[in-house]
Amino acid sequence: MSSAHSSEIKSAASAPAFAARSSEDESRLKLARRFFFRHPGMVRLGIVIVIFIGWEIAARWFMDPLFISPPSRVFSSLGSVLDTSGVPAALRITFFELAVAFLIAVTVGLVIGLAIGLQPFARRSMMPIVLLVYGLPQITILPLFILFFGIGPASKIAFGVTHGVFPIVITVVAGIQNLKPILLTSARSMGASRWQLLRHVIFPHMIPSFFAGMRLGMSGVLLGVLLAELYVSTAGIGYFTQMFTENFDPTKLFGLIAMLAAMAIILNEIVRRAEVRFSRWR
Amino acid sequence: MARRSERTRQLASRTVQIAFLLAVLLLWYLATTFWGVNRLLLPNPVEVWEQLMEVLRSGNYLPDLRVTATEFVVAFLLSTTTGTVVGFFASRSRFWTRVFEPLFAGIFSIPIILFLPLYVLFFGLGLESKIALGATISFFPIVLATIAGFSNVDRTLITAARSMGASDWLLFRYVLLPAALPVILGGLRIGFTICLLSILGSETIASLAGLGHHIVELAENMEMSRMFAYIAFVVVMVALLNAVVSHLEARGRRRG
Amino acid sequence: MTAGDVAVRIKGVGHQFGEAGETQYVRALADTSLDILRGELLCLIGPSGCGKSTLLNVVGGLMEPSSGSVEVSGHPLRGPRPSEIAFVFQENALFPWNTVEENVRLGMLFQGVPKSEHEPRARKSLEAVGLADFAKHYPGQLSGGMRQRAALARALALQTGILLMDEPFGALDEQTRMILGEDLSVLLSRTEKTIVFVTHSLGEAVFLADRVAVFSARPGSIKKIIKVDEPHPRNPSFVTSEKFTELRNELYALLHDEIRKAVSETAPTRNGAGGAA
Repeated sequence: MSSAHSSEIKSAASAPAFAARSSEDESRLKLARRFFFRHPGMVRLGIVIVIFIGWEIAARWFMDPLFISPPSRVFSSLGSVLDTSGVPAALRITFFELAVAFLIAVTVGLVIGLAIGLQPFARRSMMPIVLLVYGLPQITILPLFILFFGIGPASKIAFGVTHGVFPIVITVVAGIQNLKPILLTSARSMGASRWQLLRHVIFPHMIPSFFAGMRLGMSGVLLGVLLAELYVSTAGIGYFTQMFTENFDPTKLFGLIAMLAAMAIILNEIVRRAEVRFSRWR
Repeated sequence: MARRSERTRQLASRTVQIAFLLAVLLLWYLATTFWGVNRLLLPNPVEVWEQLMEVLRSGNYLPDLRVTATEFVVAFLLSTTTGTVVGFFASRSRFWTRVFEPLFAGIFSIPIILFLPLYVLFFGLGLESKIALGATISFFPIVLATIAGFSNVDRTLITAARSMGASDWLLFRYVLLPAALPVILGGLRIGFTICLLSILGSETIASLAGLGHHIVELAENMEMSRMFAYIAFVVVMVALLNAVVSHLEARGRRRG
Repeated sequence: MTAGDVAVRIKGVGHQFGEAGETQYVRALADTSLDILRGELLCLIGPSGCGKSTLLNVVGGLMEPSSGSVEVSGHPLRGPRPSEIAFVFQENALFPWNTVEENVRLGMLFQGVPKSEHEPRARKSLEAVGLADFAKHYPGQLSGGMRQRAALARALALQTGILLMDEPFGALDEQTRMILGEDLSVLLSRTEKTIVFVTHSLGEAVFLADRVAVFSARPGSIKKIIKVDEPHPRNPSFVTSEKFTELRNELYALLHDEIRKAVSETAPTRNGAGGAA
């Protein structure tokens, strides 16, 4: 800082007009810096833009077009990706699989979670088993799922469900467990029946945890379904990723993956917003 | 009465757990031996066990294990070094934390395995693509944990150390690092597991070698018992590794 | 105060936790007998661990005593009796996901109050505690004092004859306690409830109670009952009067030794070692 100051003095002495301009620039720079400091979001955006520009330059002029494609070409070719016969259908089916798997995971997870969480003995005996199974690397049995359920949507949905159901069960049980006992005592002292306890005390308390679990469940479902889709190379998304890879068509491959990523982001965002909305009292 | 009932309760739940697992095993055996479930779908547990023993004895798993292990070790080393270094520097100021943390968290929220085909296109079907993807995916939990660990060090501790004249290096070595270590170790444990699962996953989807790939091969050849044996092998290995890592993490936490 | 009939008759109630010989064994309450008169405000005061909260829970039907029995309005007590007994706890027992008004109405729903009554009763009790403007707020948005007012409103809306309060102001600061104590006195002079109030504070006991039951150290039993002959609503100036100071001193004298005893007792503790923590 002090060296900059002294250089300013030196330049002020030697070239008055130049010095005047540079001090103006300095204050403008300070303002800009202060602005950016208050807006880390803008800096983040700037970084992302710089990355995209770097990608564009590298892909366009420095790298083999067989392996990498600049973002400009990727975005302009999105249309052609969708024109590729079978791609829109594959995307639609994938979305369908995600939605169905999520719904099943949520329903099953809620039911199992309630069954285990509400009964202390069930929780003590079954939770360790749930956690044990949850910790297993499910990816190893993906080929098995395909053998059992075929290459159609059923296996993808099933694999998504097995990934998504566990976080939901775990968070539902946790939501029931960390209910302060005083709340149950208080309700009982006012004469609440078992059903009233469930509906007015346990359930509303468990809901924010349930929604947090749904967020994790959605991540799980996304992972499971997409893994299965990528694995099956004879139909669906996996077929096209395989095709684009073998044909060394990074443009279309990037495009397809970008669309899937967008799907994932949107679905995650929906569940996240729902969670925020239903956890207001927290 | 309180203590006796606590012990009986524990005993009761343990019994239920063991009974449950035994029941599953029993059902499996009965289904394939007597109830005519198609052996092409579900192999006999006895055969699976025999295959497993044979695999272990013959060392048939070794070449694939070597591939998977190599991929994993290199990927994890890469992600650990880059993750901790980037995480540390991102945590140096509130501003940079607020810039980078949401960026990393955002990227991590989508299944990055989705980019596997891109990595395969770029690196080929060999080890490089798996290593690159494994490193990429496990980078995020590590960098996020590092940022969290370093930026949440109690300000009072830093002030106290500075007031006693601690230099940057001393501050790092004796205040920042020990304070942040538990969180970072937690992130490393998550990164470990995620890296391992990503490697297995990418081997399953697009590979020419490795344990994940071997299982796929067995599935394609409908060698069910052997496939189940390999699955069991991988599952046990992953469980063991996880247990070791958790233990190390707990030890690290206790000291810190 | 009318020499009314007995609202609650406590007969030889004693309670212990755990079995004799176990490390968890604690004899919380020694044989206690007491008649609580209808319309009076009785304070239970004593050193920590003397069993006053245990006794309150027994009287409310939330706990079955190891020995002895409780009769409420002439009928033996076998469990919570929401139609006659309402609670205000020290810990915040408001449901955080419901607004203040919803909390009050929920209490009535549990008790079985007809739906048509919910709104008018809720409004009345919230006004009585001064929270009419905060009906639509969530407990998380209120201060500690306001939360306890809301808990009191919920209990009042149940229109029970008996109100049991377990250190309701215990978690609040001194100034809030003072205000709430005065407001409580005003409120209760208007109703004819029988109130049992557990507290640690000597001043609070003398200010609020018609009678103060002083407990000995664990295992607690009633050492002495002191009468406070002063009409409700108690004027804030009562606190500075000579009568107040005398009574407070009497309480202090009774309690001081018991408190010392409670802190240094060598009765079995959790880890088997005696002495103060």
